[in-house]
Amino acid sequence: MATYNYIEKAIQVTRREFVALTGVAAAILWSGAYAITDVVEDRNKYIKLRTAGLYKDDEKSALRQSHKNKSLMDMYAKLANKPLSPVAEKLFHTQYVDRTKLG
Amino acid sequence: MNCPFGSIKDQVDAVDEVMKKLDDPNITVVATIAPAVRVALGEEFGMEPGSLVTEKMYGALKKAGFKIMDVNFAADNTIMEEGMELVEKIKHYVLGVPTTHHLGALPQFTSCCSAWVRYIELNHPDLLDHLSTAKSPQGMAGPVVKTYGATEVWHTEPEKIYVVGVYPCTAKKLEASRPEFHSAAKYWKEHGHSADYPDTDVVLTTRDLARLLKKKGIDLQTVEPATEKDNPLAEYTGAGTIFGATGGVMEAALRTAYFVVTGEEMADLSYKPVRGLEFVKYADVLMKVKGTDKEITLKVAVVHGTKNVEALLPDIKAGTSPYHFIEVMNCPAGCVNGGGQPINPMGTSWLGKTKAIFPWS
Repeated sequence: MATYNYIEKAIQVTRREFVALTGVAAAILWSGAYAITDVVEDRNKYIKLRTAGLYKDDEKSALRQSHKNKSLMDMYAKLANKPLSPVAEKLFHTQYVDRTKLG
Repeated sequence: MNCPFGSIKDQVDAVDEVMKKLDDPNITVVATIAPAVRVALGEEFGMEPGSLVTEKMYGALKKAGFKIMDVNFAADNTIMEEGMELVEKIKHYVLGVPTTHHLGALPQFTSCCSAWVRYIELNHPDLLDHLSTAKSPQGMAGPVVKTYGATEVWHTEPEKIYVVGVYPCTAKKLEASRPEFHSAAKYWKEHGHSADYPDTDVVLTTRDLARLLKKKGIDLQTVEPATEKDNPLAEYTGAGTIFGATGGVMEAALRTAYFVVTGEEMADLSYKPVRGLEFVKYADVLMKVKGTDKEITLKVAVVHGTKNVEALLPDIKAGTSPYHFIEVMNCPAGCVNGGGQPINPMGTSWLGKTKAIFPWS
């Protein structure tokens, strides 16, 4: 006949200790999860900062529309007359190539 | 751009070549600097991401021996060409005004992003007629430097000008080498010159420029800032500078197109519906046509991350697309997050991330 040994577990955890350990475990898991969301949150932060930098440059510009660029208009007067003129077509426009058959 | 293991590097490196040209007293080396460079270059010198360093950047480039042309000027130039092309198309196709100019089809795609242009050439050649024939800002900056810049600004021979493009982009290196981008040389051949040269000689990325400055011993933090107030090719408007963000080209084009079509300024120049990091953004712009009582609704779409444009293409191929103008940028968030920008440890690079958390590792 089999004999059974009914000795209790060697590690004894009282009810108070159990509550405390649960608390510590929860705190560790919580701060880990928090750190991960932080990493995910920060992932694109530099993109947003750079974008904000450009919009700041826009906002502080005295002129915010391309057709108000005086030097550009001056260049058109001296070189290309107006947009889509023959000189502008030559210098500022291009044709595209079907590159599905390379070589 | 971020590879999780930080292993992807661009292979074409022109830094030493540019250093040699800078030492040659017979050559005028002109740096053309893209919008997105000025908000990222600082990161390579320990500044916060997004620090606007336009004047320090001008100062550093001058100290290194460059003459300066701001690509923001070329961006304004792009808006004039691409925007007018759009307005001509709208007048012709929507309002029925006859035209003598050759016009492509609607919807019009932007052509500023060289990676997108190559993508459409490789994968959807049947849509090439929709691509704006206006070159990218890089494609315009080169000819401007070697024609107008040579005669009016630096008073030198176009053959003696060496144009160094500074872009947040690796695809610009390929674009600069396109054989059709020799417009300035072609222009001068009609005016008694014989040499042949590319419009933009070489391209440096933002990272490359930072390396060059460091090799020259120039620190962006301490360099004397320069304003370039008397340089016509460094004048730019707010519309030119926002090219570096997704939706920026669209917003800039709308500001000018609205003025040309309606004869009035937009009430609020900051057009928010095209901003933000949504992968595909849509907007309707109501315009009252100048001199008539007609009204048109301009339908626009803004896409970043090229794969996201695929959803719009079947309609365009079937001829049922409701849109008039579609901006496409290959990089998520636009040029500010381009492949040539400083690799930011805040990004998705795991190795970089550990560096950000444990700086000593």
